[in-house]
Amino acid sequence: MKTRKTIENVRSLGNKKISSRSLTFFLFTIPGLGLYTLFSVVPILMGFYYSLTNWNGYSRSYDFIWFRNFRTILGDDRFYKALSFNFRYSFFLVIGLISLSVAIALLLNSKLKHISFFRAIYFFPAVLSMLTVGLIFNQVYYRVLPPLGSLLGIQFFQQSLLSRTSTAIFGVLFVHLWQGLALPTVLVLAGLQTVPTELYEAAEIDGISAVQKFFLITFPFLIPVLSVVLVLALKSGIMVFDYIMSMTSGGPGGSTESLALLIYRHGFAEDRFSYSIAEAILAGIIISLISAIQISASNRRRIEL
Amino acid sequence: MKQSKLTMTGKYILLGLGALLILSPLYITIITPFKTPMENSVSFFSFPRTLYLDNFKTILSSPRYYQALLNTIYVTVFTLIGSVLVMPMMSYAISRSMHTHRFYRFVYYFILMGIFIPFQVKMMPLAKLMSSLRLLSPTGLILLAIGSAACESTFLYVGYFSSIPKDIEEAAYIDGASTRKTFSAIILPLITPMISTIMIKDGLWMWNDFMMPLIVLNRTWRYWTLTLFQYNFKTEYTTDYGLSFATLVLSILPIMIFYTFMQKKIISGLTSGAVKT
Repeated sequence: MKTRKTIENVRSLGNKKISSRSLTFFLFTIPGLGLYTLFSVVPILMGFYYSLTNWNGYSRSYDFIWFRNFRTILGDDRFYKALSFNFRYSFFLVIGLISLSVAIALLLNSKLKHISFFRAIYFFPAVLSMLTVGLIFNQVYYRVLPPLGSLLGIQFFQQSLLSRTSTAIFGVLFVHLWQGLALPTVLVLAGLQTVPTELYEAAEIDGISAVQKFFLITFPFLIPVLSVVLVLALKSGIMVFDYIMSMTSGGPGGSTESLALLIYRHGFAEDRFSYSIAEAILAGIIISLISAIQISASNRRRIEL
Repeated sequence: MKQSKLTMTGKYILLGLGALLILSPLYITIITPFKTPMENSVSFFSFPRTLYLDNFKTILSSPRYYQALLNTIYVTVFTLIGSVLVMPMMSYAISRSMHTHRFYRFVYYFILMGIFIPFQVKMMPLAKLMSSLRLLSPTGLILLAIGSAACESTFLYVGYFSSIPKDIEEAAYIDGASTRKTFSAIILPLITPMISTIMIKDGLWMWNDFMMPLIVLNRTWRYWTLTLFQYNFKTEYTTDYGLSFATLVLSILPIMIFYTFMQKKIISGLTSGAVKT
């Protein structure tokens, strides 16, 4: 009799504790979930709503035009021009980031004196703001390189790279690589530590050349890291904004107008609020597709260790 | 592995050239504002012969730089505090309940979904939302930043929590500690490595961010952060490069000092944020 009562007591106490625990957990979740919902989910839902209207952002009334914004975009040359800029930009960026980060990481991985000093220098650009770096190079391109170019007799630098339609994209790309290489290099450097040293020793006994050693042993172990680098590069290439704002503002002649800049301009300067949101949604779909493809691909290809 | 002298010198030369390419723009940035326009017209690379301070005096005599510095510190510090208060406890609840409760599983994936959505998609509606909530202010930016950083932090914290064995907290629980007590006295100290990693990542992000301040704070100079200060300075004084470089030096300085002392922590913080994507 007594024992049964104790058991019941314990049970009800347990239930009370469990319910107070789940209440605490619920209260723990509310602030974070609330902030995320308000500042990330609500704007996206608002965006879907406005993208179906013709609102310019400030007038009192607007009409529902359903998918006409999206149809207009699909026939808009400026959108395609920006998209093609972003694809070209991302293409060169991905190639540059992957090849150079592997090369630099291999160099930084070698057993040399003062190597940690070099690592500190190579990583430093990552802590600067993209805007600051863009502004620094803006000045360098306009004021430092032209006199240097004429001094050394290099025609290429005598005019700022950013002021010619054909070279502006490479001017921006160089800056992006200058800063953007830091993080991938450290990631690849970490990836290099996953290669078992026994494999290198075995390879040395077999007398494999350095090039073969890289492609047969090192590279397969770097694939997971490189797929991360690939996505990071694609994302930053497709959404590039800070560098463009600080260096070219889309010029000369619209040759460096990226999607993000186009969205910003349409929305804030050209009174096409709902149109710019529709553009942003299309850009978002492209990025999500890229991320989804990458994630499923890297899940399939994960190396068993 | 033995290296021949030749490959070693080759590696040094390549590394040196790379270092030169990284350091020379920074060298020019730091050296230029200390030189008179005359000196700069002769050469951008020469070291200043006298210490010319007029550029810095001009900038430091107006309140804008100090205001921007204060705003940046305010925004960064309170975003970090807010995020440390809110994110670990939510992630803890999620990680301990998502295997038994459908609600927390939903919350987890609902938050992770945000990783796929680039900022530009919500940029325009956000401007409207913030103005209708009267949050176009540094405080508004802090709330926005905490909400925007939720995806990454939740992902990292939940991953970290699942690696912590549950035995310790169960013992505390049997001893009669409340869930809140268990969390603050036992769980929080265990996750300090992850907290510091995320703080470094978010801190650098807030300090350097340009896009969110551009949308939320670009109405009056009283609200400017350092990036907005630099950007607006560019559009006002494009011709005076001495002044431009001086503003850039003043903006880089705090982060340079921070980097010299916290280099290792910063590297691990930034990389652990990237691997998860």
